[in-house]
Amino acid sequence: MDVINGVTLRNMLLVAARNLDQQKDIVNALNVFPVPDGDTGTNMSLTLNAAVKELERAENNEVGRLTTLLARGSLMGARGNSGVILSQFFRGFSDGLAHVKGEATGEDIAHAFDSASKTTYRAVMKPVEGTMLTVARVAAEAAEEAAEEGADASAVIKAALLGAQKSLADTPNILPVLKEAGVVDAGGQGLVCIFEGFWAGLTTSPEEMEEILAEQGTPEKEAVDFSRLGEEVLVNKYCTEFIILGEGIDPERIRAELESKGDSMIVVGDEYVTKVHIHTDHPGQVLQFCGDLGNLTEIAIDNMMLQNQEFAHHSDNHRLDYAIDNVVGFPGVAEHSAAPKGVGIVAVVAGAGLADIFRSLGVDSVVTGGQTMNPSTEDLVTAVNSVHAESVIILPNNKNVIFSAQQVKELVDKKVGVVPTRSAPQGISALMYFVEDDSLEENVAAMESGMGEVKTGEVTYAVRSTVAGDLQIEERDIIGLAEGKIAVVGSSPDDVARDLLRTMVDDESTVISVYYGADQMAEEAEDLSATLQEEYSHCEVEVYPGGQPLYYYIVSVE
Amino acid sequence: MGKIHVVTDSGSDLSLEVKERLGIHVVPLTVQFGSEIFKDGEEMSTSEFYTRLKNEIEMPSTCQPSSADFVAMYEKIAQPGDTIISVHMSSKMSGTYQSAVLASTMLDSSVTVKVVDSKAASMGLGLVAVTAAQGVQAGKELDEILSDVQHTIDHLQVYFVVDTLEFLKKNGRIGMASALVGTMLSIKPILTLVDGEVAPFEKIRGKAKALKRVRELVVEFQEKFPEKKIRAAMSHATTSEEATQIAEALSRILPLEGEVLIGEIGPTIGVHTGPGVIALFLFAM
Repeated sequence: MDVINGVTLRNMLLVAARNLDQQKDIVNALNVFPVPDGDTGTNMSLTLNAAVKELERAENNEVGRLTTLLARGSLMGARGNSGVILSQFFRGFSDGLAHVKGEATGEDIAHAFDSASKTTYRAVMKPVEGTMLTVARVAAEAAEEAAEEGADASAVIKAALLGAQKSLADTPNILPVLKEAGVVDAGGQGLVCIFEGFWAGLTTSPEEMEEILAEQGTPEKEAVDFSRLGEEVLVNKYCTEFIILGEGIDPERIRAELESKGDSMIVVGDEYVTKVHIHTDHPGQVLQFCGDLGNLTEIAIDNMMLQNQEFAHHSDNHRLDYAIDNVVGFPGVAEHSAAPKGVGIVAVVAGAGLADIFRSLGVDSVVTGGQTMNPSTEDLVTAVNSVHAESVIILPNNKNVIFSAQQVKELVDKKVGVVPTRSAPQGISALMYFVEDDSLEENVAAMESGMGEVKTGEVTYAVRSTVAGDLQIEERDIIGLAEGKIAVVGSSPDDVARDLLRTMVDDESTVISVYYGADQMAEEAEDLSATLQEEYSHCEVEVYPGGQPLYYYIVSVE
Repeated sequence: MGKIHVVTDSGSDLSLEVKERLGIHVVPLTVQFGSEIFKDGEEMSTSEFYTRLKNEIEMPSTCQPSSADFVAMYEKIAQPGDTIISVHMSSKMSGTYQSAVLASTMLDSSVTVKVVDSKAASMGLGLVAVTAAQGVQAGKELDEILSDVQHTIDHLQVYFVVDTLEFLKKNGRIGMASALVGTMLSIKPILTLVDGEVAPFEKIRGKAKALKRVRELVVEFQEKFPEKKIRAAMSHATTSEEATQIAEALSRILPLEGEVLIGEIGPTIGVHTGPGVIALFLFAM
């Protein structure tokens, strides 16, 4: 194929998204760290899916229009660090094709890959080689070389794919941790899946594309909301989604009108096509208002309360009780009539108990996630916008969310500060230093220094066998991490918690906090804390239901 | 030229020894457990009070002295031509100051009463009363004493740590610290007084850490006044050992003017703060 037009470009992206989705478990398995969270494959796949979903809104197949939507969709849908980097890749790719009017030549494509690679490097503060950055760069270099030799568009894409594959195989030689763990870089593998998809998309028959498009129509589209339902307070129980087609639609006006009707509102689009997503108790009123503005299509209304009961029942019987108990008098329900406060707080937290603790410490909006599913940039944008404050502090509470949180700064009108907390205890420690009357900058500085006053330990299980220093770890072993590094291994969560704390507590320690997970019984946790109190008589030992998934215990020492 | 007398209320938590040595007169508030009413220090001791506080379900309350109580005290101690300096708990926390002001207008004009709002409580008020009484003992003029008193009030820095905010909250004395109520974690906030009202200073997890932080604050305070002698007082509720330890630490780190005065928080203040309180009062001379 000499040149690539919009239709082909769309096919390439759709096939890439499908390929990554199919391969995501393979990518996930490559995570160096054998803990069950922040999966690279899932994050990249969800990011790309969000991006190609956005392509549906293209009213034509102009290359420029498609790439603009691609860049925007991936930006808003970015989850986890790898997702954010991928979104930057697409942003650069889109910029690189911006000048293309009708069809992209091999040279154009090479230029776009080069722009994509450069943008990813710029997005990372300290670029590390042997990661997806390297894969993107080597692929771009290979494409460039081919284009210089006069290769056509498809030959350039093939060259990029071969370059990416070669570079991926080389990642363990560049990055020692990969060699030690016996894997190639997960993000790099994800990117190779995308290049493979680009290549396959060039030659996919129209019939196959039909099939892919049909699959695309039924994604697990509310996956995020679903996972968070067990913990969110369901005042607005109907998840209502639809698209308005018309002329002269004003998304801003829709936002203003619907704001009072519910929460988690997203209104995106332009004067011809606008998508509305809102959680509301009055779906009828929402539809009525928007129906007057144009034709409504793809209307979907789900009762989250019922879904939630099912979900909560499966995962933790207490969760729903919790959610219902808290419907009344929940302070986070925005009282928008009041004047905005100076500084509000958004925190990313997994677990109903921890969410409640964060709210009680003054957090305005809790975004569920971190340990299982990393929230998308859009989730964070929505939360920041929902806070009735002039500026907002985000506590990511997970190292894989910090990057997405920083993206939010450019996507909202409010001033946003990120305190780069890597765990829930760090977030709690940072909140001790929050002073509502102080400025955003003062608070961020104080909280950043405050978050360091606590040591975090986590007890979870190994998702695969590995070696960490002197420790031989088998799949399903219980592992204890101190400050994110595997410190102890064992077979019972309680014993591992005790051993872990021995590596963390010293004579200067004063408080030990134990947050037990969704699958732990309160009695077990109380027993554990009693033995800890005996062992560390110079400390105050406190135990709280954290309700976090996958992690039996999160402990902190200060 | 008549004598100058110093009067305070039972919210000052001054020890008997200090009161006697400096000749400070105390008008008691009353503490009410259900239908039983006791005069602080006279009809109920501090240890009795904390035992009952622990065992009773119903929260006790306090009642300010009546104007008649003040008039009785003023008339008892003063001769015609004398002056009384009557210093009391922050008017934002108690009506005691108001009662004293009213009483001062009920006396015949031969006795002058200067009623002072200390904007503090416990040993903070105690320090203000001590400043006044020491001025009297040193033979200072009334104006000079009142100016010393005002200096103490204006420069007093207060830090206190409560075991629980429950007592402050239930008795409506929580002031600007109300934002701290309702946190699910056991937080030992360091509180302070701002313009006579309780205000949050810092949120801290764990009492040991809070007390460590108070020590740091003492050092910071001293660094602000490098050339000056510092006056320090402490008060505590059921935690005399901790208080003594901290007082010893203070005398090591601070260039102190006199010893650290230690007072046990009596029923008047204890009703609002509960057991386990440690409070520190500092001012640069």
